[in-house]
Amino acid sequence: MPIIEVTDLQKQYPLPGNKSEKFYAVNGVSLAIAQGEIFGILGPNGAGKTTTLEMLEGLNDIDGGVATIDGINVNKNPYKVKQVIGVQLQANEYFDNINLEELLSLFAALYNSTIDPMTLLAKVQLEEKARAKPASLSGGQKQRFSIACALVNDPKVLFLDEPTTGLDPQAKRNLWELVQDLNASGMTIVLTTHNMEEAEQLCNRIAIMDHGKIIAEGTPQELILEHAPEPPEAPLHGDLEDVFLVLTGNGLRE
Amino acid sequence: MILTAQQRHLTTVFLKIFLRDRRSIFFSLFFPVIFMTVFSLSSSREQEAISIGIVNDSSNATAANFVQLLTESPLFDVTTGEAALLRADLVAGDQTMVLELPADFGDLASGSTAEINAVVDAAQVAQLGLIMPVLDQTLLAIEREFRGIEPMFAIVIEDVQARSQRYINFLLPGLMALTLMNLSIAGSGFNIVEYRRKGILKRLFVTPIKPLDFITSIAMARMLIVLVQVSALILFAVLLLDIRIIGSFLAFYFVIMLGTVVFLCQGFSLGSLAKTQESIGALGNIVIMPQIFLSGIFYPIDSMPEWIQPVAQLLPLSFVSTGMREIANAGATLMEIAPSLLGISVWFVISFLAATKLFVWKEVAN
Repeated sequence: MPIIEVTDLQKQYPLPGNKSEKFYAVNGVSLAIAQGEIFGILGPNGAGKTTTLEMLEGLNDIDGGVATIDGINVNKNPYKVKQVIGVQLQANEYFDNINLEELLSLFAALYNSTIDPMTLLAKVQLEEKARAKPASLSGGQKQRFSIACALVNDPKVLFLDEPTTGLDPQAKRNLWELVQDLNASGMTIVLTTHNMEEAEQLCNRIAIMDHGKIIAEGTPQELILEHAPEPPEAPLHGDLEDVFLVLTGNGLRE
Repeated sequence: MILTAQQRHLTTVFLKIFLRDRRSIFFSLFFPVIFMTVFSLSSSREQEAISIGIVNDSSNATAANFVQLLTESPLFDVTTGEAALLRADLVAGDQTMVLELPADFGDLASGSTAEINAVVDAAQVAQLGLIMPVLDQTLLAIEREFRGIEPMFAIVIEDVQARSQRYINFLLPGLMALTLMNLSIAGSGFNIVEYRRKGILKRLFVTPIKPLDFITSIAMARMLIVLVQVSALILFAVLLLDIRIIGSFLAFYFVIMLGTVVFLCQGFSLGSLAKTQESIGALGNIVIMPQIFLSGIFYPIDSMPEWIQPVAQLLPLSFVSTGMREIANAGATLMEIAPSLLGISVWFVISFLAATKLFVWKEVAN
């Protein structure tokens, strides 16, 4: 049985400018995500990726359809669902003047549990920043800290909304490793991305969304075979990112 | 008060956020302290003496007596001298009035009324009302003495409240009410808008925390902050400015806490209405500004234009500051300030309903 099961999910908003008309931000999305998968949702801006995730996370009301996570109905038991999921949002700002260690303790307290913040910080390579304020972190560190916050309740499903957007190639690869490590321990991961390389390298399966609908779904290989045009002749050299990494190294910069 | 572990932790975090923000602590105390100090210094000093010049053209004892009496009066700072010189001073603004005593001043033999020429600067007419009665009194006293008449009436002023009522005593409870209003509205409304803008609210609500727990925690933290800040102001006033709170401290703090709850609700309402930091600033001003000037903080509502008094009296801050003032200055009991308490309670109901109605959870988180 899939850990996430979504049937005909819908979200409608009044059309801006004409309140009597509705438009569907999410229009009949159905998904089945297996335990232990890394599942990617791709699509242009405004395709409905974030809205779909927010409905699964209990942040946005579900206007139509059914979603269950770990057998719990999201519409009926949003608070139960919140206990078993971890969420990393696109915005990653936190309270001023509260350091990483304190924030992690706070998030644990919100689940009525206690954790050792240092263990969690070590997991995302931020032990040395325990006393730092989130605002002083680099982009990659912020994203890793966001993931640490999402792990305080040892979730079964981890949602990542564009986790690598705006990161340099080193930080991006470093984050992929973190995601793979978490996945190796059995965690199901659902992420949205604009980065095709990320989708291809990281995800077991992918759904491509546009205009609130899923227009294609499958493993990266399947999708490429089915939809991609014949590949051009193999390039003589790697791409510019290979150049960048050769010149600047793979070491993580922060 | 029993808080859940969640609420306790979140309350502690909100307190930490505030305590580590030294600048806002400084400013929330700085202005009340400055106001209190300035007004307590200025209101404890004697009324500044009015400068008058006297040109004494008469050489008799009555004139000398008159000058003597005025010189002794604390109300006046008397300079005697030449007419031309003193008039020049008057023009320069160094004298408020120049009195020219005629040569036949107090010369009863003449049988006529001696005319004293009072030269004034038209710009100073406001002071005339203050000076003239004293001059009249002084002249009357001299005349009686001269004619050997005992005064028929004497007014003895008895202060029934038997305590000094300086301006600072009036001002202080109002300033505290003002401080608690600012801290409460800023603490709930302004913070919510900021947390929403930064996406912090959204982040909090993917955890299992309930909206009510979040609001309770902010309200608890703010309540503690207000109590500590107001207590600091009271300590400052009592220890350094020698001001007494006559009524019961318990009653005083009761009104403070009630007022804080009302303004916290108003802050939550504003924070829900405003979508951006700019609009919360504007909305906040609409609520805060009229209350600063119309709630009888700096001057009594009675002294305002009559048409505005009914409105002024109904403002939430008016009820809070009046209640606090009556307890602090007149030793009123909670029973005696029942009208203020009733007013605060009505505002509590209104604000609470507005806050719960406006505080649409999903929108606040998005």
